Amino acid sequence: MGKKKKVNLPPQLPPDIPDEEIEVSDEDLDFVKKNIEYAGFLTKLDANLINRHVSRVADYKEDELEAIYERKKKKADLKKAREEEGLQVDRVDALPIKTLEGELCYRTVEEPNIVHKDDGPASEVKEHDSDKGLVKLTKAERRQKLKKSKKEAKRQAKDEVKATLVEGLHSDVLAKVEEDLSAQDLFARKKVRLAEVGMTLLENPELNIKSLKDLLHICSDEDHNIVKLGLMSVVAVFKDIIPGYRIRLPTEKELEMKVSKDVLQTRFYESTLLSSYKAYLQKLIAFEKDPSFHRLAVRCMCILLDAVPHFNFRENLVAVVVRNISSADNVVRKLCCETIKSVFTNEGKHGGQVTLEAVRLISDLVKAHDCQLHPDSIEVFLSLFFDEDLGKSEPKEEKREKLSKKKKRKQHLEQSNQLPMSEGKRRKHELMTKTREELSADLKSVSFAPDSDERRRTQSEILSAIFGTYFRILKHSMDPSFQRSMLNDNSSSTGPGPRPLLGPCLMGLGKFAHLIDLDFLGDLMSCLKKLAGYNESFNDNPLGSLSVSEKLQCCIVAFRVMRNNLDALNVDLQEFYVQLYNLLLEYRPFRDRGDVLAEALKTMLWEGKQHDMHRAAAFIKRLATFALSFGSSEAMAALVTLKHLLLRNSKCRSLLENDPGGGSLSGLVVKYKPEASDPHLSGALASVLWELSLVSKHHNPSISGMASGISAMTTMNPSQTQAYLSALSPVNAFDDSQIERELLKALNRKSSFKQRSKKMGSEEFVAIDAEKVRGLEKEEDEDVIERKFEEHFMVLRDIGENEKLRLELGRVSSALSLYEEYKQQRKPKQKKQKKQKKAMGKLKSSIKSIQESIISFKPKAPSCIHEAKTHSFRACTSSLSLHNPDHITQLQKTHMEDSPSCSSSSPFPKQQEQGCLPPNGRINPKRFFFSPRSTKSIMEEVKNCAPKAKTVPGSSFCEESEAIVMVSDEPYRDFRSSMMEMVKVHELRDWPRLQQLLHCYLRLNDRKTHKIIVLAFVDLIMHLMAHEELFSLSSAPLCFSLRDLEK
Amino acid sequence: MRPLDEKETTAIFEKLFKFTGPNLKQIVDRPATEGPDDPPGRYCFRLHKNRVYYASESLVRRATNISGDKLVSLGTCIGKYTHSGAFRLTIQSLDLLAAHARHKVWLKPTAEMSFLYGNAVLKGGLARITDNTHAGDGVVVFSMSDVPLGFGVAARSTQDCRKADANAIVVNHQADVGEYLRNEGEL
Repeated sequence: MGKKKKVNLPPQLPPDIPDEEIEVSDEDLDFVKKNIEYAGFLTKLDANLINRHVSRVADYKEDELEAIYERKKKKADLKKAREEEGLQVDRVDALPIKTLEGELCYRTVEEPNIVHKDDGPASEVKEHDSDKGLVKLTKAERRQKLKKSKKEAKRQAKDEVKATLVEGLHSDVLAKVEEDLSAQDLFARKKVRLAEVGMTLLENPELNIKSLKDLLHICSDEDHNIVKLGLMSVVAVFKDIIPGYRIRLPTEKELEMKVSKDVLQTRFYESTLLSSYKAYLQKLIAFEKDPSFHRLAVRCMCILLDAVPHFNFRENLVAVVVRNISSADNVVRKLCCETIKSVFTNEGKHGGQVTLEAVRLISDLVKAHDCQLHPDSIEVFLSLFFDEDLGKSEPKEEKREKLSKKKKRKQHLEQSNQLPMSEGKRRKHELMTKTREELSADLKSVSFAPDSDERRRTQSEILSAIFGTYFRILKHSMDPSFQRSMLNDNSSSTGPGPRPLLGPCLMGLGKFAHLIDLDFLGDLMSCLKKLAGYNESFNDNPLGSLSVSEKLQCCIVAFRVMRNNLDALNVDLQEFYVQLYNLLLEYRPFRDRGDVLAEALKTMLWEGKQHDMHRAAAFIKRLATFALSFGSSEAMAALVTLKHLLLRNSKCRSLLENDPGGGSLSGLVVKYKPEASDPHLSGALASVLWELSLVSKHHNPSISGMASGISAMTTMNPSQTQAYLSALSPVNAFDDSQIERELLKALNRKSSFKQRSKKMGSEEFVAIDAEKVRGLEKEEDEDVIERKFEEHFMVLRDIGENEKLRLELGRVSSALSLYEEYKQQRKPKQKKQKKQKKAMGKLKSSIKSIQESIISFKPKAPSCIHEAKTHSFRACTSSLSLHNPDHITQLQKTHMEDSPSCSSSSPFPKQQEQGCLPPNGRINPKRFFFSPRSTKSIMEEVKNCAPKAKTVPGSSFCEESEAIVMVSDEPYRDFRSSMMEMVKVHELRDWPRLQQLLHCYLRLNDRKTHKIIVLAFVDLIMHLMAHEELFSLSSAPLCFSLRDLEK
Repeated sequence: MRPLDEKETTAIFEKLFKFTGPNLKQIVDRPATEGPDDPPGRYCFRLHKNRVYYASESLVRRATNISGDKLVSLGTCIGKYTHSGAFRLTIQSLDLLAAHARHKVWLKPTAEMSFLYGNAVLKGGLARITDNTHAGDGVVVFSMSDVPLGFGVAARSTQDCRKADANAIVVNHQADVGEYLRNEGEL
């Protein structure tokens, strides 16, 4: 039922659709048949729907031109109307915007709407379809509709005559419309189309495989953005639709054969997919050379290689990715490395073939670039994984099988001997075995997993490629001619070291050492030895440019290699021990990597089982020295190793005893030679481990504890030793103390001063040169001390001023009370009263201000500081005031109106202005002087004092300022602060202006005070030089100022 | 007693160099530990009655007071000239060699006795061997507790040792401390 209706109802549809429909929907028909109730229900709805669609499509075809013209007209009208009225607005942004000029702006309707309209009937239909399709379409219908939409959207005129006609029309019209559209609209439209095509492809790849070509077509657009989007979306599509097998195109013979429709379709699908994939890859590879698309192309290829490493054309992908593996571009390099790594780790996806290809390509790359690549490109190898059991267990099993087979055969033979079989039986038996063998062969060929033999072969090939690369790098880094050239290069350019690949190469060797053939071992070791800097004749070393860390790494790798091949022989790597012994001295904490050192200590000393006595003693001694001179983490690692060595070698414990000489043990070298390069000749057994007693005073408690624990080992029984073997390795110790140190750093940033002094203390224990150390200490802490002193004196000064203020307050209040008594005693006349009231008000205000100032002072003076501390300071000032009882200084005032901050920074004693206090021989001995930041309350009155002051015209800035007569008992301080103020306000930074200032002061003041002024000036300049480093004053100007003084 | 002439010196040094390598310099240059001299003198080689002695300079000076035929020995005897004129290191030089040796071999405790009876060191008795030993190098033989037992010549390199079977000779015997008992009269 359902099927009939479907086929018959749409007569207006192009004939191709029903044809294909029948082909495709065979299964669906079954489905429909099975669920007749369901389908029947559907068909009722479908009739209307399809009718509607057909009619609409027909309309569209006939009236397309007209409709579009109409629409265009409408649009133009709309635009016109909008421009004219300017008030037709989008509903969303209904509120107008008022510009700065006062014009009202209305937001007009934006792109999306336009795009929707202009997308034409195709998109409308599509939307319609998809809306409904989601709800109630069977598979067949959906397909039909997809077909339709596809055709409309893509203007592909391949299949049918009618379709071509329609397409031709369509494309013409589309072209016209495109001309009208703005570029942006076009962009948006293309985006939408990309998305649609992609979606249709993903919905049903078998049917819509042809649209891949459209996608590719889009990718060759002129617009770069579109191309980029297109490339990315194609990648996404390919990632999803590429099958899990490699496509093999049918041969000619196969093509000739007759096959069913299904097979034909599959073939068509596969060939289209393959051809478009090829085209796409070609495009990508072309784009890869274009700098603007380089990144994108590489990314696409990385994604593809990551997702489908088994598929056709992977060789090209791998080649391109490997080519970019040491690209200068960070992003590209990271991408490529990640991809290669994932290829290495997910071998199951491709069966190891791609790994081999990649490894070979990388080794070729290394060869081609003469080992000048980014280290990342070799580091990739580290993620390789080799199944060691493959090589061992499989052949054994085979042997076993063979054996068992042999046994069986024997048994058979025996059986046959025992009971001679009849002819028929034997034949039957042979046939059985034959078929069995054939079956097993078939199974093998069918099963997806590659043969273990094959896998082993690939693995060995991969390994040989890797070690070829590694040995090439090692050889290359040993080549002295290259060394020299690199040294020359280094002087001109600071690149990533002369041997960029050595580090990862060594790491890789360490990791795969157990897979190396024993025949290579000797060469490898000699290579490493040379690299580690060992030189037979002790001549000048041409390989001296290797850093300490690299040398240490060489030693570590050598030990790893040896340990991994330990099953054959226990070999004593003496040369490497000698190297380590010397490298310990060359280690510098910030230049070299501490973790590498700890690693070296661990692999070479801590894990090594046997050391002969002299060597162990030499290392113990050197490690103790080392622990003394470096940071806590290195010291910890060294101490852990030392302890371990002492525990292992009980004879070396004579080092812990207090008598030097070592007795009979010390061998031929009777005296310890700290500078000896060979641990055997250092005579360490003749020495005493005095370092430990110093280390036990280390500031770090764990280190000091460890050191004292080691020194307590003398009393230990030999039997106890085994129990004390700790599990803590130097590397662990190093890491722990590193973490500890970081924590300390974070927590005790404030107490860094303390720590530093302690550290200094610990360095003093080394006691190479006490004066040097002290000098170092001074140098480091000078600024800290200076700051502390400054703070201290600031506090002291504040306290002093506070006390002065209190005194002042007491005096004023007593005067006030006196005055009140006086008032009560004599009832004064009215005239006088007014004056008195005024005076009263002023006095009260002054008291208030003083109180305020005291309050504001209080928080600054710490309560813990007693008066006793301030006493000396005050005594000093009082003595000064005694010696120069009355200096009348003239204080330069900045002009008050200039800025509030200026005026506020110029406090002035109001008593002077009031003039009500009795002037005596020492005028105002307790007058106070505010620091600029202390108060603001008095400043209102300060302004009044200006007119009273004597003004003296000065030079440029001196003219702006006003001179004020001041009575001071501390002329030096007043001068200095005044000068400071002037410098601050006028920003005097250059020498001539400062000089001008000095002249100004000298001119204004009496000859007697000149000395003080110059002193204050010099002091000020010193202060400025020390603190602000604004100008570099040589001694000449200072001399000049002294000459001025004499003048 | 006389100092060595050029030919003798080269012969001795070549022999020593086999064992000590660049450490030979150390043997010649090291300051003397015996004698009251300050600064201490060097050690030197003296030939006396076909035997080569290694003695400090101060000792040599004192030894000149004794007539040649009365002088039995001075310092350490390190070797002797055979009747055929070849130089041979004797067991007394063991301490000197052990202190400066470049190539060492450690013996398993079970193989010690065999070596001390004058037999060669077999692969099976080998506990440890210095890396990079080549065939023909002089090797000092130690027990596992680092007591020097004797010296010999390596029969095969470290690499070859790996592959050799347990009965292969690794070190050919030259001298061992057992000689102090076995050949007491000769020494």
